Amino acid sequence: MKTKGLGEFEELVLLAVCILEGEAYGISVKREVEKHSGRSILLGAVHITLYRLQDKGLLQSEMGGNTAKRGDRRKRLFEVTAAGMKQLHAAQDVRQKMWQLIPQLKPSL
Amino acid sequence: MAIDPSIKAEFVMPPIKKPKPPSLANWLASKFINESLIEEFFGDLLEIYQERISTKGKFYAKLMYWVDVLHLLIGFTSLHLFNHQNNPTIMFKHYLIVATRNITRNKGYSVINVLGLAVGMGVCLLILQFIYFESSYDHFHPDAQNTYRITQRPVRNGETIRLDIFHTYAFGEKVKETIPEVRNTVRIHPVPQDGIVVITNPIDSRRFFENGVWYVDSTFFQMFDFPLLYGSKESALSEKHNIIITEQIAIKYFGDSDPLGKSLKISGGSLSGDFTIEGVLKKLPENSHLQFDFLLPMSFLLTHYGAYVRSDGWGWQNFLTYITLHKPADTEGVTNKLDKIIDTYLGEKLAESNTVIKTGLQPLVDIHLLYDYEGGDRNNHNIWFFSVIAIFILLIAWINYINLSTAQAIHRAKEVGIRKSIGAYRKQLISQFLFESFLINGIAVIISIGFVFVLLPFVNNIIGKELEFTVLHNARFWVGLTTVFFFGSICSGIYPAFVLSSFKPSSVLKSVNLNPRRGFSLRKGLVAFQFLTSLFLISGTYLVYKQIIFMKNQDLGIDMEQILIVPGPRVILDGDREVLESKYQVFKSSLAQHHSIVAVTGTSNVPGKGAIWTGDMRKLGDPIDRDVLGDAVLVDVNFTDTYDFNFIAGGPFNEEMESFSAVIINEVAVKTFGLGSPLEALNESIILSGLDTMKVHGVVKNVHWSSLRDAHMPTIFGLEHSFNAHFSIKMNTSALPETLAHVESAYHEAFPDDPFNYYFLDDEFNRQYQADVEFGNMFSAFTALAIFIACIGLFALVSFSATLRIKEIGIRKVLGANIRNLMLLLSREYLFLLLIANLLAIPLIIFGARSWLENYAFRINLAPDLFIIPALVLALISFMTVSYRTYFSAKANPVDSLRKE
Repeated sequence: MKTKGLGEFEELVLLAVCILEGEAYGISVKREVEKHSGRSILLGAVHITLYRLQDKGLLQSEMGGNTAKRGDRRKRLFEVTAAGMKQLHAAQDVRQKMWQLIPQLKPSL
Repeated sequence: MAIDPSIKAEFVMPPIKKPKPPSLANWLASKFINESLIEEFFGDLLEIYQERISTKGKFYAKLMYWVDVLHLLIGFTSLHLFNHQNNPTIMFKHYLIVATRNITRNKGYSVINVLGLAVGMGVCLLILQFIYFESSYDHFHPDAQNTYRITQRPVRNGETIRLDIFHTYAFGEKVKETIPEVRNTVRIHPVPQDGIVVITNPIDSRRFFENGVWYVDSTFFQMFDFPLLYGSKESALSEKHNIIITEQIAIKYFGDSDPLGKSLKISGGSLSGDFTIEGVLKKLPENSHLQFDFLLPMSFLLTHYGAYVRSDGWGWQNFLTYITLHKPADTEGVTNKLDKIIDTYLGEKLAESNTVIKTGLQPLVDIHLLYDYEGGDRNNHNIWFFSVIAIFILLIAWINYINLSTAQAIHRAKEVGIRKSIGAYRKQLISQFLFESFLINGIAVIISIGFVFVLLPFVNNIIGKELEFTVLHNARFWVGLTTVFFFGSICSGIYPAFVLSSFKPSSVLKSVNLNPRRGFSLRKGLVAFQFLTSLFLISGTYLVYKQIIFMKNQDLGIDMEQILIVPGPRVILDGDREVLESKYQVFKSSLAQHHSIVAVTGTSNVPGKGAIWTGDMRKLGDPIDRDVLGDAVLVDVNFTDTYDFNFIAGGPFNEEMESFSAVIINEVAVKTFGLGSPLEALNESIILSGLDTMKVHGVVKNVHWSSLRDAHMPTIFGLEHSFNAHFSIKMNTSALPETLAHVESAYHEAFPDDPFNYYFLDDEFNRQYQADVEFGNMFSAFTALAIFIACIGLFALVSFSATLRIKEIGIRKVLGANIRNLMLLLSREYLFLLLIANLLAIPLIIFGARSWLENYAFRINLAPDLFIIPALVLALISFMTVSYRTYFSAKANPVDSLRKE
């Protein structure tokens, strides 16, 4: 069941990773998505999605710096791959095209 | 141990550094999630946890931590399952859908199924936790596996006389010096047997009776791991006048203020002195057989209690001795060496009485489970009984599942027929039904864990212990739980799976006339088995309570309800003897003046509190190897009057007789010492421990001086005019408050520096049966649960067969059957099963009851009511269960049932 397109949540996560530019790990992504979408998300959902995207080759990751706040544990920093960028653009293109096909909206009463 | 209940308040603890996330959640995650992912997950989790604590509070943070961990667990363990979709996974997904549809369609039965299983497993887990706790005693000490308690058995003429855990002072010393395998030893000396000292806080002069006072070697903390809150383990016992107290004692005496460096005054004859607090122990873990309140250095005891060092320390046996070996050495070799030490130093003296002493080693970790306080074997039937109950309850729950799923077969028959006709193999159908069984059992397991958390406080209440659900941290527990889960799912699923998958598509699809009694004989058998176990449990409960009531109501030969006990003074013991005796006289005579007080006596011990001394006694003139073990209690002249002892021969002591010159003995003593008839006994004397000789002055009837668990001991009541460890006051209880006030004021007048305390003898005596009462409570609670599970199963089964026969009932009703006939028709088979179960239960009950009652020297007889009452109870309960349902089926209007066709 290899789906081609991006799910809605996947897209949000991918965008958040782009925004965070090398500072993207579980919690920062969660915060970013929450900030923009206005809904609260479980940490696990973010993790699962990050890994799924990595499996699909849309993200790549490496272990990053540790802080005392994390009990001296390193975090995994995610970065968008070229394929990921392409997917995002493709998704946006689809939307753009479809938006343009909507008949001009008439001003409401 | 007298601990004031008001000391529950939190002790001032050193501030905690940082809130820790739930360790159990971490542990769980680390077991299931890939190691390479753990680091970042834990990092993220901790980060968000800290943040949540500061914004939303600890509870919320903890809760969300769990949610996150479980989410990650589920996410990362099932991720791979659904990543690659092939036939079996799709099939399982389909089974899941079908199963959930089935569960929701028959909500009632599903709830009963899951609830029954969950309660059953929950009880199992509780019992498992209890067993785990009971077997965890003293495992936390540093070298617990190599630590032993030394026992000794004097063997005379090849016959063991008794088992003892107390040794001489010098013995422990020599053990360490001469046996190379021994790495460390510690001697413990509890306060001498008359037991109690008064401890005073000099600042505000508050004083309490205390008996958890131990004198220990400085090696105590090297061998036993009791953490200190304040003070250092190395130096806390180094000075003669140091004392270590526990957290609770610190609160009791000093409240919130820092106890370190403060002093406490101990009053109790030669043990009196002022001590400086050099250490405060954290509350002792409950799972240790070593329980005490105060620790004092051994050096103090030795300098203040001269008797112990006389004859080079080989005279008195009052020291518990524990040793740690270097490595798991052969214990037999060590005991041989221990025997040799005793032989070297005491052999000559022992040879006079033809005695040798054989030592033994009791592993520290086994002491709680296998041995009692005196060192003898402990009959630890409780654990065994509870395990059996746990298995019974689980079986009952599984039987419910089997019964209900086979009874529901008719609903699934069409499904099976269609599956088969479109090509399902029987194997696939079996795996489908097994899958459902796994699903239901799995839900039940999860609920049962929650169930344990809810029930644990109640169980703690019943058994009087502070169990926590710690077993969750134990890997073996999870293995066990998984085994039970798999075993249960397969056992309860396999039979229904085979029955359901065996339907022939041609017959089930053609007509609805599937024989509903299919598999009925097995179902009958299972129901009968449920009845049987229920009966067994009910009669067990009945038996336990009957024995307890018997023990409490038995005529003890002493009228305990009228006797008030007041512990004797301790502080005044420090003063000189003549003053002391005159004060006793003042107290006694001022009591005697009161009109409600009948008699007063001062004794070393009171019923239920043992003897001052237990040791070798024999008839004067008998050879030394005729020594037998007897109890000695010291009493004054008013003793026999106060306790209303019935004399068979001789009479009470009188004032003119000298202390330690005469004894009154009981019937058992006459017999065991070989004194002939009671009258002949009056001409004889008893010799104690080869030293003191006392003339027999009277013979009294046997009384129950100790718990009815124990047989009558040969007992001598020796005359001592002023050994007033306890005052027993016989009184007329009609004007109690006024009399008590009089006793108290008289006491304070005579002994102004001592605390006043009192209790009624019957309350204290019955406290000996506390353990039995707790056992009974736990037994009955589990029995109730077992019956509850069996009942809901029975109810579901009856309602099911009633729905199957709804047409039959309708037709019968139309033809003139009345409600009573119909109810009988529907319940008849269950009554028959109940009867069979009753017959089968009788031998089981007899066997179980016999083996349990063997613990009691005085016990009830096995009477038929042991079978009849449980049978009636169960008949009543199951009748109510069945009739509730059958009544409604029988009452239904036949039009409703016959109309639909």
